[in-house]
Amino acid sequence: MKLQNNGDTLRASAIAELHAANANALRDEMRRAFGQTQRNIEIDLSQTSAVDSCGLGALVALHKTAAARGGVLRLINPTPPVQQILELTRMHRIFEIIKE
Amino acid sequence: MPDSGASRPAALRFALPCDLGHVRNASRAVHQFLAEQGCSEEILSACDLALVEACNNAVQYAPESARSRPVVVEAICNPGRLEIRVTDHTRGFDWPEKIELPTPDSESGRGLFLIQSLMDSVIYLRGSGENTLVLRKSLSDEVPLNRSHQHLENDGLITGLLEEITSCYESLSAIFRYSADPNHAINLKKFAHRLLTDLAAVVGAEWFVFRSARDHSHIDVLTASESALDMGSIEYREGHSDTSFLEAQAAILRKTLWFDEQSTLAEADPIRLKPRARGLIYPVFVNDELLGTLAIGRNGKANAAPPIFTKSQANTIASFAQFLAIQIANARLHETSATARISARELEIAGSIQRSLLLKELPTLRGFELSAFCRSAEQVGGDFYDVLKLSEDTALFVIADVMGKGVLAAMFAAILRAVLRATPELNREPAALLARVNRLLFDELSEVDMFITAQLVFVDAKARKLIVGSAGHCPLLVADASGVKSLSPEGMPLGILPDTEFVRETVDLPEHCRVLLYTDGLTEATNAAGERFGQERLMEWIHHTRGPAGELQTNLANHLGTFQFKSSLNDDQTFLIITG
Repeated sequence: MKLQNNGDTLRASAIAELHAANANALRDEMRRAFGQTQRNIEIDLSQTSAVDSCGLGALVALHKTAAARGGVLRLINPTPPVQQILELTRMHRIFEIIKE
Repeated sequence: MPDSGASRPAALRFALPCDLGHVRNASRAVHQFLAEQGCSEEILSACDLALVEACNNAVQYAPESARSRPVVVEAICNPGRLEIRVTDHTRGFDWPEKIELPTPDSESGRGLFLIQSLMDSVIYLRGSGENTLVLRKSLSDEVPLNRSHQHLENDGLITGLLEEITSCYESLSAIFRYSADPNHAINLKKFAHRLLTDLAAVVGAEWFVFRSARDHSHIDVLTASESALDMGSIEYREGHSDTSFLEAQAAILRKTLWFDEQSTLAEADPIRLKPRARGLIYPVFVNDELLGTLAIGRNGKANAAPPIFTKSQANTIASFAQFLAIQIANARLHETSATARISARELEIAGSIQRSLLLKELPTLRGFELSAFCRSAEQVGGDFYDVLKLSEDTALFVIADVMGKGVLAAMFAAILRAVLRATPELNREPAALLARVNRLLFDELSEVDMFITAQLVFVDAKARKLIVGSAGHCPLLVADASGVKSLSPEGMPLGILPDTEFVRETVDLPEHCRVLLYTDGLTEATNAAGERFGQERLMEWIHHTRGPAGELQTNLANHLGTFQFKSSLNDDQTFLIITG
């Protein structure tokens, strides 16, 4: 995973998979990297081939982290299988999904 | 009934270390296997995710003590339908009747929803120490069953489960008919072929050769999975050159020999016909005399070694081979004797099926005590009981008596148990559940002129109420301070009429109540003077005896034992006691 600071936004990219074995670690790492002055979290899912329910749990947790600072969680360019699971679990209505 | 001549499904089976880091590997392996079977992208991605969720649960909920035990993943691809099974060693859980999404801010609780949404049918089979989640997906172009028609879907699910059980049961019942009727001309070769083809499907083998022994010197092919393996006769006498062949060695050494790609085989060993194969050779003995050998294995692929059989698969192979050997021995015996009889071995098998159905441990029900008792008569019958815990406060108690003896009765008990466990939506409705079960089993039962008496009792410990439904079974006895009630709501035994109506009765369970479910082996017990134990004696007993369920169980068992002192047990005796 690659982390990048863009002003008030922390952006993660190059995530191959987001599942039970790495979801909590990713969540914790992002929370640690989330700067005092930052509000928003962006997760680039364009290279993510699979997300499971634990991965969704991590996204919900990060959504809350951002919301606590008055910010938002944005999911960038989810791949079709990831988009499918977001829709299946209705999470596409909760998260801001951006197709760049 | 499935046609034994139909092509066998492609199957994959492997063990997964109980570790989240390995879950993706499992889904990759299954993905590759399903892709090879020609599954579409859509199906592949649905299966990937459902399997990951199933494996995550299997790993995450495994108790510390079970961490060393692997999660077993199986994928079976039939024409038109694929099935994935995940066997875990968790304590198991009650599969929810209705799975809904958690609130959007919940960080967990979406796994089961995903599994249910992605698959056409999901069955969670709870066992003792292990549980299996069965996921099915239709591969046909037809639109899958509309999920809003919950009952339709469940019917499909039960039919699927029944098919599976009956495919196994048919082999056993064929054996039963065969061994029971010596005049019935049956082709031993065909019969053996069919039985072994079923065995191969059960243990995931791809080929087999069964040889029968002749003149204490030769083993000749009786049947083989393919004609290329039908290699005629092998001599297994000391000093003969054929004795270096693996099958001859197993016969001489009188033990199971395993082989794999590392095994050194003699130049002309017939096993060499299957390059890189793995499997085993099992020599079968009847009365200490070699009857034959069974070689069974999996094909080696160019780059991957197939898994060798597990211990339980090896046991299954041994049981089937021994069973077949008994039939061959009987066939030979029948040539000189026309006496029909159920072999001792068959009774042994029926007995082990019956024992395997009984719960190793009764569940708990808040505020009540439970106890169960089951004593088998010499000729194994079809008594069985089951307790399905539905929640902390509710459970369904089942007691049944399959009319008939031997393997067939035991198999029907197994089918009944599976069907009841596969119908959770009706577990609180004994009468409706009996009607459903009767419809499902009617054809099977009437075909072999058998029937089942059964009693289902739903207990709600919180509301202190029970609901009973009966299919021609003995009355339910409920005792409290006010006296003893004998409840026998109307209903014909299962398998008599296709559309039987069942009545339900509801009774309160006051403090210090005792409830007794029993089979007619109790009331039919006779003493040396030929007198029956009878229902009155039973009602008298429950009226006067107080105490926790465990104590009552011992007391009643002793009471019966004293009554029938020195007279032989001629029917199974089974009962369940609930006190609270």
